[in-house]
Amino acid sequence: MKPLSLQSYLFPRAVLHIDGDAFFAACEQARNPSLRGKPVVTGKERGIAASMSYEAKAKGVTRAMPIWEIRKICPNVIYLPSDYETYSLLSRRFYDIVRRFTPDVEEYGIDECFADITGWDKPFQADYVDLALKLQDTLKKELGFTFSIGLAPNKVLAKLGSKWKKPYGFTAIPFTNIKDYLNIPADKIWGIGTQTTAKLNRSGITTAFQFVNAKRDWVKLAFARPIYDLWKELNGEQIMPLFEEEKTEYGSIQKFKTFTPPSRDPAFIFAQLSKNVENACIKLRRYNQATMKAVIILRTQAFDHSVREVLFERPTNLPPEMLPRLHEAFVKMLRLNTLYRATGIVTYDLVPMLIQPDLFQSTKRAEKFQKVYASTDKAAAKYGKHTLFLGTSWQAHQFGAHLNERGDDPKRKHELFLGETKRKRLGIPMLLGEGI
Amino acid sequence: MQSPKHTLAIARFFRQHKRLPSYREMLTLTGFKSTNAVYRLVGRLVELGFLSKDKNSKFAPGPHLLGVSVLGTVEAGWPSPAEEELVDTLTLDDWLIHNREATFMLKVSGDSMIEAGIRPGDMLLVERGRTPRSGDIIVAEVDKHWTLKYYERHGGRVVLMPANKKYKPILPQEELNIAAVVTAVIRKYHS
Repeated sequence: MKPLSLQSYLFPRAVLHIDGDAFFAACEQARNPSLRGKPVVTGKERGIAASMSYEAKAKGVTRAMPIWEIRKICPNVIYLPSDYETYSLLSRRFYDIVRRFTPDVEEYGIDECFADITGWDKPFQADYVDLALKLQDTLKKELGFTFSIGLAPNKVLAKLGSKWKKPYGFTAIPFTNIKDYLNIPADKIWGIGTQTTAKLNRSGITTAFQFVNAKRDWVKLAFARPIYDLWKELNGEQIMPLFEEEKTEYGSIQKFKTFTPPSRDPAFIFAQLSKNVENACIKLRRYNQATMKAVIILRTQAFDHSVREVLFERPTNLPPEMLPRLHEAFVKMLRLNTLYRATGIVTYDLVPMLIQPDLFQSTKRAEKFQKVYASTDKAAAKYGKHTLFLGTSWQAHQFGAHLNERGDDPKRKHELFLGETKRKRLGIPMLLGEGI
Repeated sequence: MQSPKHTLAIARFFRQHKRLPSYREMLTLTGFKSTNAVYRLVGRLVELGFLSKDKNSKFAPGPHLLGVSVLGTVEAGWPSPAEEELVDTLTLDDWLIHNREATFMLKVSGDSMIEAGIRPGDMLLVERGRTPRSGDIIVAEVDKHWTLKYYERHGGRVVLMPANKKYKPILPQEELNIAAVVTAVIRKYHS
């Protein structure tokens, strides 16, 4: 163990960024040995690549690549529908294992998190590098797939570290060695987007190193606060805190779904929208929020979008209160004899759900619907989502969203134990594959 | 013992996260606006034995916290003596699963372990990352397939033994990739 004083000099704060290596594809390969060493791509239900194994990446498959192109450059690809249930279970386990090392964890994405291990070197009697390596080893042993880790004095540098060497890489960027990691284009830095890059380029700055060496006063004047914070972190200061709270409320909730084949039947298209509305309302009710405004989106086969805002009488999270208004708007938006392929709803300006008595005595009706939906939610908790749904959504519930191969379900949905249903399964990831 | 308001929320948080909430998290849990209010609540909970403080004044669950009935509908009130006794009971989940993060399940399809009482259709709980001991049933990866066998050591040599005379033992020539150790077999007859 190195002297502690050196530790705290190299890492005045010790922040880890832990990043899954091809997370979704790795979840699939770890539970099914017949997929190992092969090009695996997930996202079949969307018709594009959502996640690619390293074998597929080596063939040139990139994120969001459409399937016909994937099959062209990688004919032996194994193309799987996303099993978000399993990925989410494994994501939760990933955070929980990280929390064995420190309670300060920011769940940044399904496959990545930040963890502040400052001060935990003493109780664990291991320096920060050893702690990070021990965490990396534990994740691999217990989950069966790998993560890359960056260790640095702050979030921006930790994020840079985890990308530095992948897969199963570990990169420590101590306070004293930051400059060694800055010989990269400025837009490779987390948080520097196209606009900032353009602005930097105009000032003759193309690399991260040049950006870091820019004068403090100039950066402060020329850029908004987040970019200035970023500059400070790249210089080794500790600015950005970890956001540790779990999400307890949302600013907006959206549900958007594609269906195949596309349709020109107004009833069918509205059923798709209605199902999205029900889904958005389920989420609103789960967080006890309500909305007064929603935007409907319809997408045609030709990828044209029509969008319309709808206002409700009062904040609500109940489909029967929304649908009449939404239907009025829908009728005005819909073009006849046009093929549609997706519908969506966005609710925003969310407020906490309260029933307020109003002058028109419609509160009674609202209370009644509240009760109906309280029961609907209970039924869903017991028997699975959409146990009860509206007649207007019926057509959308009759089939999966896709009638071609994009409609393939993840395998886990069919590997059921007695007592499990297609809608409700045990919350433990399952090993798949032959020979057991 | 009567639990003060918010004890339930803290107990629920503790069961869910296997740790106590921070002061900041307590603000969200209780809806209090100031840490001072949380501080006072915590003081009272320590007094009543729902929380305790160690010598570094870090929090630990107190003797009564686990007794808070999380599922019950009564938040404040006098639990019956029978309820107190339930404090030391395990759920079936806790009994079956030791390392939650490392536990996976699988459905048996073959009959190679039939004489060990493992039948096709059975559910196995398996733990990744656990070091197998001789006599354990393990899931190993052989030629891109899973295989379910007894793990046996005979004088430094590893043998994978089936529990079915129809199958031959496997003597791994090269590195053996053991994915997991079987920790439980579950067979359900009715739903």
